[in-house]
Amino acid sequence: MSQLGPIDYAVISQALIAGAREMGVKLIRSAYSTILREARDGSAGLMDRYGNTVAQAELIPMQLGPIGETLRACLKRHPVETLQEGDFLINNDPFEGGQHIPDVFIFTPIFVGGRVVGFGASVAHHLDLGGGAPGLNIHASDVYQEGLRFPPSKYSFERDWNGGSFERLVTANVRVPDLTIGDFNAQFAANAIGVLRVKQLCERYGTDKVEAAMKEMQDYSERRVRAAIAQAPKGTFYGEDAVDDDGLTDDPLVVKAKVTIAEDSVEIDFEGTCAQVKRNLNCPYSSTLSAALSCVKSVLTSPDIPYNEGMARPIKIKVPYGSLLNPRPPAPVRARMIPAYRVFNAVMKAMAQALPDKVIATGFDCTTAFCLSHLGEKGYSVYLEIFGGGYGASRETDGCDAVDSPLSNCSNAPVESLDIDYDFFRIVGYELAPDSFGLGARRGGAGFTRRCEILRDDVQLAIYSDRFRLAPEGLQGGEPGQRGYCRVFRANGTTEELRSKAAIDLGKGDIVEMFVGGGAGFGRLEERPDSMIDRDLADGLITRDPRAARKLAAE
Amino acid sequence: MRVGVEVGGTFTDLVAVEGGKIVVTKVPSTPKSPDIGAFAALTASGIDLAGIEDLGHGSTVATNAVLERKGALVAFIATAGFRDLLFMQRHDRRNIYDLFYAKPAPPVRRKDCFEAPERLRADGTVETPLDETKVSAELIPALKEGGYRAVAICLLNAYANPEHEKQLAAMIEAALPDVLVTCSHQVAREFREFERASTTLLSAYVQPVIDGYLHRFENKLSESGFRGRFTVMQSNGGRLPADAMRQSAITALYSGPAAGVVGATRQAARSGFKDLITFDMGGTSTDVCLVQDGRPSLASETEIDGLPIRTPVLDIVSVGAGGGSIAWVDDGGMLRVGPQSAGADPGPACYGRGGTEPATTDAHIVIGTIRPAAFLGGRMKLDSDAAHRAFEPVAERFGLSVEQAASSALQLADANIVRAIQLVSTERGRDPRDYALVPFGGAGPLHAARIAEELGISTIVVPPNAGVISAYGLVASDYTKFDAVTRKMKLDDAAAKEAGRIFDEMRQRLAAQFADMKLPGELDYTHTLDMRFVGQAFEVGVEIPAERLRSLDATYLAELFADAHHRTFMHGATLDRPVEIVTLRVGATLPIGGAPKLDREKLAARAPEQAKIFHGEAWLDCARHTAEALTTGQKIVGPAVIEGHTATSWVPPGWSAELDSHDNLILRKS
Repeated sequence: MSQLGPIDYAVISQALIAGAREMGVKLIRSAYSTILREARDGSAGLMDRYGNTVAQAELIPMQLGPIGETLRACLKRHPVETLQEGDFLINNDPFEGGQHIPDVFIFTPIFVGGRVVGFGASVAHHLDLGGGAPGLNIHASDVYQEGLRFPPSKYSFERDWNGGSFERLVTANVRVPDLTIGDFNAQFAANAIGVLRVKQLCERYGTDKVEAAMKEMQDYSERRVRAAIAQAPKGTFYGEDAVDDDGLTDDPLVVKAKVTIAEDSVEIDFEGTCAQVKRNLNCPYSSTLSAALSCVKSVLTSPDIPYNEGMARPIKIKVPYGSLLNPRPPAPVRARMIPAYRVFNAVMKAMAQALPDKVIATGFDCTTAFCLSHLGEKGYSVYLEIFGGGYGASRETDGCDAVDSPLSNCSNAPVESLDIDYDFFRIVGYELAPDSFGLGARRGGAGFTRRCEILRDDVQLAIYSDRFRLAPEGLQGGEPGQRGYCRVFRANGTTEELRSKAAIDLGKGDIVEMFVGGGAGFGRLEERPDSMIDRDLADGLITRDPRAARKLAAE
Repeated sequence: MRVGVEVGGTFTDLVAVEGGKIVVTKVPSTPKSPDIGAFAALTASGIDLAGIEDLGHGSTVATNAVLERKGALVAFIATAGFRDLLFMQRHDRRNIYDLFYAKPAPPVRRKDCFEAPERLRADGTVETPLDETKVSAELIPALKEGGYRAVAICLLNAYANPEHEKQLAAMIEAALPDVLVTCSHQVAREFREFERASTTLLSAYVQPVIDGYLHRFENKLSESGFRGRFTVMQSNGGRLPADAMRQSAITALYSGPAAGVVGATRQAARSGFKDLITFDMGGTSTDVCLVQDGRPSLASETEIDGLPIRTPVLDIVSVGAGGGSIAWVDDGGMLRVGPQSAGADPGPACYGRGGTEPATTDAHIVIGTIRPAAFLGGRMKLDSDAAHRAFEPVAERFGLSVEQAASSALQLADANIVRAIQLVSTERGRDPRDYALVPFGGAGPLHAARIAEELGISTIVVPPNAGVISAYGLVASDYTKFDAVTRKMKLDDAAAKEAGRIFDEMRQRLAAQFADMKLPGELDYTHTLDMRFVGQAFEVGVEIPAERLRSLDATYLAELFADAHHRTFMHGATLDRPVEIVTLRVGATLPIGGAPKLDREKLAARAPEQAKIFHGEAWLDCARHTAEALTTGQKIVGPAVIEGHTATSWVPPGWSAELDSHDNLILRKS
């Protein structure tokens, strides 16, 4: 740090953050699949040569958290000294630093003067990577049925991509190769931009200063997190939540968190969490880590603290091996976001006891993956969208309505864009759901429904969701939010209720209604100002005056 | 005589040009009714309104109506099933770790959103016809009940076929003749329903406000004997007659920064500079824009208060770095500058109005570039001690001298501006070294040379009267209107031909609109195709050279596109992937002819004074010149300060400055 003045540091660090942001923008804007280009289910960042995250494009919290883990797993196999210009590293292995199969991480080393100074990193959720069903195989009983696994590995871009053997291997194993290969190319391009920006910085300021700034950025985040922890009440706090079921039985999958806030560090222990399960609701270690870190960061620190490796240093996480949150291979893990949300919820509930003004009540907090596919004459057509729900309320604010849940940040696909791209279904309704949230001094955010009309026969629907059984719980007297459902109105007039993890065949004229619920309330309803109740009544967000029941009870 | 009146947040500027003579007037703005300030400026200038042929006006009326939620009570109508379009938005968050996040709030309540029973398909064919009986029985009475001043209609896929919107609008207009109806196909004929709905709603929301404001303005003008043409600035850098503006209210947003870019572009063009990066540094922020071959870059979308607006605007990037931006140390120990600003009140510490936090202007006083006695031509005396005191805590914190601390703050402000410039250049595949930097606004020319150094730019063009360039831009800008239409076609020779045909149609439509506005003359057109590889969601705009319009073919367009895609994304240069045309855009411009000359006030030549400026790590002896006393061709070698009435320029060591025959001060790196 001696040669790095405060100004150089400020300038270089901001430039690295700007570089990461540019990578993210270009990843999304040059992508092909709806899941990446419209839903923006991808992330990007810059790493140091040791595999630590330095700067990130703030896209999807879940993917961002453990990028370092994912890269370090690659560097263990292919040490940084052995890399050559033109190499890239790739990893999507849930049991070696990856998360789930669709999220493929690619790392491009940045060479300056023959030495690696860092990596451009990107991750994208790929629409289809083979496996037992298009886009989403909810029946998978092991990871092999979930798609193509890339263990931490090294390839040469020139030799193996752009018509090379590795590209052909991928092409041959996926159902929509044009989109998938296009999205891989968007990742390579995003990395190339990161590489270029870091090289330019090294030319301008010297490699030593850039590397010193990379290190200082992590130290800076660490200092700020430790400072925030130092101000929090000390003690051990417990929180618990559960996934509805594993899709086979009706037993809830319990997640337990013990959060210990010490002088300037936090320890989270998931002892007591249920054992791993037979279907895809297992949460790989990296995902558990990411969910816990996201919760601690959101609660403890102001949003302007850059998320990098330093952020994670004061936070220790212990997860029993073989549990739902650290499964043994070859467990299926495709729906890992759902247990990850219960990690987020359990940690939040524990922290609520220490810092009630900084938390929110439990939201619908679930990733609902909704996948329609159709095999036509021209091959597969796959539509995959991610739905959130309503946020939980806080001491001061109502929860956010109809938005992706905290660990993710996927956009919806414009209805007009789906109308252009798909001929086998059509969106016929997309609305806020009145009364879907928990009331309280502050109410939860509203959930919503999205309705699809099926326009052809032989369409497959696969979903995974949660909270069809267990509603999100309120804080300090706030009421619970509503539970979700997925319903099929058949063309013949019958109605079918789906489980939260289900796959079903659809025909022309069927209508699918997906409902994701709202968040829970915070504080007692009696404390809610009249003006807020009146407003929600006028806007039709609540359909009955809750004060009527109160008056009745009083009389 | 041509007159431009620009209403800003703090000041209302007036520039009047006749022959070689120029009058510049600055009066305080009157935010509650901006027209009062505008007329005060006209009065203060002593101009006879009867002698004005051309009055260009720019104001923040539209922008403020949205920001302060002072627009009309508006109802919103969507296709059945999609009433909540404006609240659903895109289902994402701007700040991913904010637990208390709230979405940008559209200026309409949910209770004021309605549905129309109908549905079109993507190709514009009808899936469900508009149920007129139901509209008459349910929707119309509800609209009557609500007492709305305006109605915004956005139906799904109306960009492909506006019939249902037109039908519905006609029914509403017939039943409620006093209500202003805005349809989505009128404001943006492009796909993506939320962005189009937001644009339509905001347009309907500000239209009655703009309409009322312009009406008042015109009445006052005619009472005062004005007989000339009254025009209003748009965010796309062109003007429209006030009448036409009432139908196109949404384009009045952000007209101020756009006027500045146009003014700077025109003035730089006199000296032969056409490839420019303009930067307008004011009190709280800096606006940056890239100009290619004399034409400012356009963006197809902007936003206000987080709400998208799908209409062509000058591609201006704004950062929170201005004269009032405050230097501070965050709780991780990092020095930062802005975006918090001391504003005009209390202002920087040196204003002596109780401000104690160190601002950029204070830093200039500490390092000597701004002379406390000569600020704004001596009209405002500054407190040098207060500026020094303000920087003491920063100096102490980092173990620096006060001047080192001030210099550090300036470097950080520069770095913020450099990043904004990279956003409009490097990130769009343009190399800043190929451009001249054109600084204006009060603080621009002081920072220009250091920013140029950072970016490798070797030429700077400082326009005369750099403090009133926006008002000048009002009288120097052309009449402009844009049209865009989404027509998705896979690129082949037939599609290329079809594009040529649609372009013809669009030109005819624009020509008719100019005729309606009573603006005769030969129009200049630009033609842009938004294209993408099949499967992508975001398009890259490719401008089609006029000489190729008659002979468009697929190979040529694919090459143009692949080039543009590669420049931006650094991949996709290969031609083996299918390409599609998504949106066609035509811009029509009626040139105003020779822009009026912006020259400068002249004073008798005088000898420069000696000054000390802290630069790099040391105090340098340098000369302090008076801008108004320079003579054409006079060459000044840095280090030097050139002090002017509305702006001061810094010429660092290694740079020289020369006043050219068009009164532009050209700085060059030697």
